[in-house]
Parts: sequence; C-alpha cells; structure tokens
Amino acid sequence: MEQSILQLFPAGYRVFWQRTAREQEHIQEIRMRVGRPVIIHRDGREFFLSEQGAFTDSCQYAHCAAERELEEILEHICHYSPYAFEEELKRGFITVTGGHRVGVAGQAVLEADGSLRTLKNISYLNIRVAHEKKGAADGILSIIYSNGRLKNTLLISPPGCGKTTMLRDLIRQISDGSVYGRGMTVGVVDERSELAGSFMGKPQNDMGMRTDVLDGCPKDIGMLLLLRSMSPQVIAIDELGSDEELLALRRAAACGCKILATVHGEDRKDVESRFGWKSSLWDGMFDLVLVMGKEKGKCVVKQTYERGDGCAEVFGKYYGAGGMSGTGIVVSGTDGWEN
Amino acid sequence: MLGGCLGLGLWYRAQMDGRIKALRNLENILELLSSEVRYGRASLPECCSHAARFLAPPFDAAFQEIGRRMEENSGMAFGEVFREEMAEGLTGLPLKEKDREDFLQFTLRTGFMDSQMQLKAMEQSMALIRNTQEKLTQEHAEKCRMALGLGAMSGLLLILILC
Repeated sequence: MEQSILQLFPAGYRVFWQRTAREQEHIQEIRMRVGRPVIIHRDGREFFLSEQGAFTDSCQYAHCAAERELEEILEHICHYSPYAFEEELKRGFITVTGGHRVGVAGQAVLEADGSLRTLKNISYLNIRVAHEKKGAADGILSIIYSNGRLKNTLLISPPGCGKTTMLRDLIRQISDGSVYGRGMTVGVVDERSELAGSFMGKPQNDMGMRTDVLDGCPKDIGMLLLLRSMSPQVIAIDELGSDEELLALRRAAACGCKILATVHGEDRKDVESRFGWKSSLWDGMFDLVLVMGKEKGKCVVKQTYERGDGCAEVFGKYYGAGGMSGTGIVVSGTDGWEN
Repeated sequence: MLGGCLGLGLWYRAQMDGRIKALRNLENILELLSSEVRYGRASLPECCSHAARFLAPPFDAAFQEIGRRMEENSGMAFGEVFREEMAEGLTGLPLKEKDREDFLQFTLRTGFMDSQMQLKAMEQSMALIRNTQEKLTQEHAEKCRMALGLGAMSGLLLILILC
C-alpha cells in the first residue's frame, strides 16, 4: 500500500509525484482540473504542488494540470483500455489497485432516451486515497458479540466519521475470527467498491479469509444473490439508502443471517424519520445500534443502543490509525431502543 | 553444384512459405485479441494474458510477459511493453519490416472509450496483414516455380562455365 498512488501515474510523471507518494499516509485527496492548480488535501489542509512536485501554500507557483497530462493519467489508470471501464466511468469513478478511487467529470454523452452513455473530454480527476486501518474495530468487538454470538449491528454516523473504515475492519475480524467469536462466512455487497476497494474483481483491502465480495452490484439485488449463491452466515453492506435495501436486509435476517450495516445519520431518530419505518421494525432487525461522530476532531462511538437495554452513551472511545482505544467512560442513558 | 543451386531455390521457396504462415499466425493472434475485446470487454493487458494460453511458442511466453509487466505497472505504456516483448519473437520469423509494423500498428492506437473503436484499430492491422498474405498467396505458385527453375538453371550455368 505504501506509495501505491505512484502507480496511478505513467512513468513520465512519476518523478513529479514522488514527493506526494511519500506522504501518502497523510493525504486524503488529490484534485486535478485542466488548466487549474493541482490541489492536495493533506491532514485536512489544502496544498498546491509546485512545478517540482513539492507542497506549497502559494497558488502563484502551483503546477497547473495540462489537458494531455490528465488524458495520459486516465489512460494509464484504465490500463490503456478505457472501454473496459465503461460501466465504472458511467458511475463516475474507477477503483484502482490499492483501493484508491478516482472520480472523473467531463462532458456527458447521452443515449437517445436521455440516459448517460459515457463521459468524454474528461477534465477533472479526484483521486481519493484509501487508508485501510486495521484494528479500527478492536474497541467495539466486545460489545458486538454476546457469548460468542454475533449481534445484528447497525452503525449510524454522519459523513466523514469513519463508519466505512469501522465496518471494513469489523468484516475482517468477524471473518478471521477473534477472541470474542469464531470466524464466520461473511458476504459483502460492495456496490461502490468502497469496502473492499476491488479492482478487476480482486479486493485490494484485507476483508478476511472467509469473506466473499460481490462488487459493483446494487445492494438489494446483491444481498439476495449472495444468499442464494454463497450462503453467508453474515451479510454486510455499507450505506443503507432505500426501502428496497432495508427490505432485502430484513429478508436476509429472516433467513438466519447475521447482518451488519451502516447508514448516514446524526442519530437513531434521524435515521428512523428518514426511512419512515417504525422503531419496532428497526428493533426487530438490529440487536445493537452504534452512533458515531466526532469529538475534538477524533472519530468516536458516541452512543450504543442495545435491544431492550436502553441507551448507553459512551464517551472517550476513540478510534483511528492505532485502532479503537480509550478510557471507556460509560454513562447510562435514558433513551431506550424502543421509543 | 546443381544440388547446391537447387537447394538455394528450395530455401527461397521455404522462406516464402514461412512468411505466409507467419502472417497467418499474426492474423490469428489479432483475431484472438479482438475476440477478447469483443466478447469479454477485457483490457488490452488482460487480453494478452488470456490469449497467452492459446498461443504457441514464442508468442505464448511473450504474451504472458506482457500481462505480467503491465500488472507490475512500471509506468510504461501498453504499446511500449507490447513492442518490446514482441520484438524478439517477431525477429525470429521470416517477415519483412512492413509486416512487423502492420502487426504492431494497433498498439499506437489505444485509449478509446468505445470498444468498437479499439476493435476497428485491431481490424485495420488485420486487414493490412491479410492483404499482404493474399498477395503473397497469389504470387506463391509462380514465384516458387521461378525460384526452383532459376536455382536449377543457375546450377547448370555454373557447371557449364566451370567446365
């Protein structure tokens, strides 16, 4: 994974990107726009790249991406065969080796019926650097198992608070097994290739030895397909977004599968009101709900809801590159799971 | 003396046969690659890795090496890697420089958004090779006769001069 972003660039550009690649661990995004300065998001701050490839705060000395440069980079990313990535380009991003995601924008080519055929004159690239954090879920493993049995778990969090990172590591640890429970067969429907970061069907992130990944498939269809084909003990999906997905997840749970899912939201009430499902329906599906958020710039599990046990607010449990750790100050709440 | 000159004529004939056979081989390779693009929507390096299983030496090893090098990703373009790896295999064949260039021409035209465009680039290379092949086949019988005849006659002429 180290310096893997260098592989996104053709040989002629590698010297220029060497410095950026050395800082890969700290880089979140690389934004390239034709005729505009290249912008790097590093540790939450914005930098430009000088003509020599060094970080600079000054826009005046920034290197501007040329049209040909973007074309060559995209061609290289697509293995000189963009036609083979037609579906990915239609979706607007390509997942590459190392699990990084390259978002593209340009001119849309439409079909006669108005649907998107492909993109041409691609003039914007957004390289989102993947950071696999093994051990991110260490701190919650003890609560998602009960006497060696996995609980159906929902992770709720606003964007950027690490729910995908958390889910990825949970999948790995559940699949491989841990001191809390034996290894289980996990089926992952990775619609946007964010969990496994699959490239050409091969996961770029460690998803565990008993994990089967269905890449690029709509979640509702994929869950039922996995149930039929791979008979997983656990089904995991990222970013629940529709009633169809929720119904498919419910069906998986009814088949005896354990379920792991994440959803965008501030808290449980926010999620419930957005989907319009009654609390009791959520209660029937999930044994445990974890609400994540940010405190003092760090990602934390703010609340846990356990079926029947009311709500517990957990403060001080931080997770990050070094895994979840903390003081474990637990304050009992009054907000029950069934309201 | 006569035998030697006849042998020379036969060697020339064998070279012509070899060129036609080699051109047919190159056409088959391009056909195989275009099938991978048409039916599998495979990327060009993938096409090479897949096609390697169906090819005879020295192309099987060369195609495997192209797939491996592209996966290794040293930053070189597909066309460069393809040309480098094919250079050795093509040099050993009784081909003219034009034949080699016709075959490698498609590697200069990559990066199409539409698979049909990539297929067209391959088909153009195929058409050039097929044209040469057809032309050679038409002339083949006549040229072979001439090569043998000239070989025999030049042998006789040499014997006469030496006598």
